[in-house]
Amino acid sequence: MEYKVTMPILSDTMDKGKIIKWYVKEGDFVKKGDKLCEVESDKAVMDIESFEEGVVKKVLANEGDEVKVKSTIAIIETMENGKWKMENERSEPDHLKSDEGKTEKHKSDTPENKENLQKTDIDSLISSIINTPSKTKKISGSASPAAKKKAAEYEIDIEELQNKGEIPKPAHLKDIDEVIINKYFTPKAAKLIKEYSLDINDFKLDHKIRSDEVLSYIKQNSIPKITKLTPNQIAVIKNVENSIKKPTFLVFEEINITKKEGIKLTAQIIKALSLAMQKNPLTRSILKENKLLTYPASNISVAVSRDDGLFMCVIKNAEEKSLEEINEWLKEIKTKKLTIEDLSGSTFGISNLGMFGIESFTALINDKDVGIAAFGKEKEGVMKVTFTFDHRILNGVEAAKFINDFKEEIKNV
Amino acid sequence: MLYREALNKAIDESMAADESIVILGEDVGRYGGSYRVSEGLFSKYGEKRVIDTPIAELSIVGNAIGMAIAGLRPIAEIMTVNFSLLAMDQIINHAAKFRYMSGGKMTMPLTIRMPGGVSRQLAAQHSENYETLYSSVPGLIVLGASNATYAYYGLKSAIFLNDPVVFLEHELLYPMDMEFKEIKNFDPFKAEIVKEGKDLTIITYLKMRYDVIEAEKELKKSGIDAEIIDLNSLRPLDIETIANSVKKTKKCVIVEEDHKTGGMGAEILAQIQEHCFYDLDAPILRIAGEDVPIPYNRKLELASIPTPEKIVRKIFEWKAENGI
Repeated sequence: MEYKVTMPILSDTMDKGKIIKWYVKEGDFVKKGDKLCEVESDKAVMDIESFEEGVVKKVLANEGDEVKVKSTIAIIETMENGKWKMENERSEPDHLKSDEGKTEKHKSDTPENKENLQKTDIDSLISSIINTPSKTKKISGSASPAAKKKAAEYEIDIEELQNKGEIPKPAHLKDIDEVIINKYFTPKAAKLIKEYSLDINDFKLDHKIRSDEVLSYIKQNSIPKITKLTPNQIAVIKNVENSIKKPTFLVFEEINITKKEGIKLTAQIIKALSLAMQKNPLTRSILKENKLLTYPASNISVAVSRDDGLFMCVIKNAEEKSLEEINEWLKEIKTKKLTIEDLSGSTFGISNLGMFGIESFTALINDKDVGIAAFGKEKEGVMKVTFTFDHRILNGVEAAKFINDFKEEIKNV
Repeated sequence: MLYREALNKAIDESMAADESIVILGEDVGRYGGSYRVSEGLFSKYGEKRVIDTPIAELSIVGNAIGMAIAGLRPIAEIMTVNFSLLAMDQIINHAAKFRYMSGGKMTMPLTIRMPGGVSRQLAAQHSENYETLYSSVPGLIVLGASNATYAYYGLKSAIFLNDPVVFLEHELLYPMDMEFKEIKNFDPFKAEIVKEGKDLTIITYLKMRYDVIEAEKELKKSGIDAEIIDLNSLRPLDIETIANSVKKTKKCVIVEEDHKTGGMGAEILAQIQEHCFYDLDAPILRIAGEDVPIPYNRKLELASIPTPEKIVRKIFEWKAENGI
């Protein structure tokens, strides 16, 4: 039989008692009236005596612990019918048994057989009850079970934070993670944790962690920062990948150009190009399913570097627009909110890196365009241009005629 | 390999290896099976081992049980699960109980194959899923083959097991061409992790596997990394694989074609909360068939069961509702 020693109520006002000292230890044999331990209540210090004869099977509170009244502080195995009968005769549900519990059941005639007494089903049953994470039970507030479990682990009071409105109701794991990060990391360090998707468990969470500590961890383990591509970046990648599949040929040229006050060189180029395109229908054409579609207007895609990325913006009917209008369009397109109209419908493209001091370069054809002209910097009225043409639509002869027309037009704009 | 070819191969190879194996059912012989699963077996093994039976489900299973007791390894084919209701007494009261009633002295090496599920406009009486029914019967093993690999290895295992197996197939899967993977040390009771993921666990089985795979592509676009588990074995349930996954992802969605109330999902859900309640970060979501007899009209039919679009929408709604 089992006799549970509980914390006695030593005074009317006592709700807890402190264990000062244990006189016995697990495995000790005690007689009725033997002192078990010394307990301090709010008023006095007293000894607790055993009411039964038996072996101390389990001591459940340590010296110095404060224990609620009526809760069990020790278990004593008592003698029955002159025999030490173990409780484990009664079968317990499987899931409550630990592996150890499967060892042979013990019956012993003498209280000296101490070691054997430890390895019993009832032992593991009790320890499994004692070892259940009581923390999860204590946590109040509205949260998912997983959030509560984690909050208990990190001693976070969900209810308090919810009363303050700092975390949502009900709280989920991600909310608790956020609290943990803010608790153990400075704002700068917390930002790094998120940026590099680091696991906070890789850090010793016993102090406020600063950003330099996180940075050195990042360096040490050479962890890359992951930036997700914007839809536009993904579109650009697809565009250039498609472009490389086109059979192209290059033409290198120099053009003479007279700069005009208040007008961008690019505007002059667009104007001249649009007029040359009017004379060369193939430059207004695109391929579609074994058909050649030739459009009436000169719609030109222009490589524009904006704050939100590189875009091939399309100026429509450029041949009908004045230089000033084109110049204005170039300014607007830098900051304007782009629509699908602004990015589609072109047949020829240009890219100008002259303003960055680039002498000459080649460009990849945009989307379905038939070609692209890449302009270097203007030096004493001369610019280097590289034309890239889609050989499926244009041959060298047509390209040469188009370029010559362009060179004529650029003189006049 | 076609799904039905995988089943055929499993039966053919088993019959060649073990003379005690016989198959019986409606049109399994001369006709080759209503879904062509037993094609070619009649001419190869003859009418003593490939037996055409009358349209009498109770007697098909009853006869098969007698054969099993007498030392054969019968494979009974019920044309669809819908008709298995007629054989219920034999399956539940006899096949499932026999080993127990004999104190373990006698075995019941019986396999009962039956296709089920919502096909295309077969209407209420020919569109049922009865996995929940069979999975609730102690003494039965219930396997569900969603793919050619499991169809082959799973059915072979079922045939050679000494306990009665209800082997579930899905009518829409038979003509599907599927990848076949060679497996060593095959375990019929192990669930398959179709795709690993870290954000949520989607548990499914039979034909819904494909709807979930389709839906997962959509989820992936939104940055949701889902883990997909195909149960394979419905009784016993591989709760270990399920629990390990849920402990990892903390969130769980169950997708089943069968009606929601008292369905397979309800049992899975109950077991998950028994095993990993404290790891759950959100209520478990069940996406299941509506609680109606399956309608004949194609639009209504699709409206009554999960589809990839519905799975995606319900997951997003669930995420929004729970702030996860």
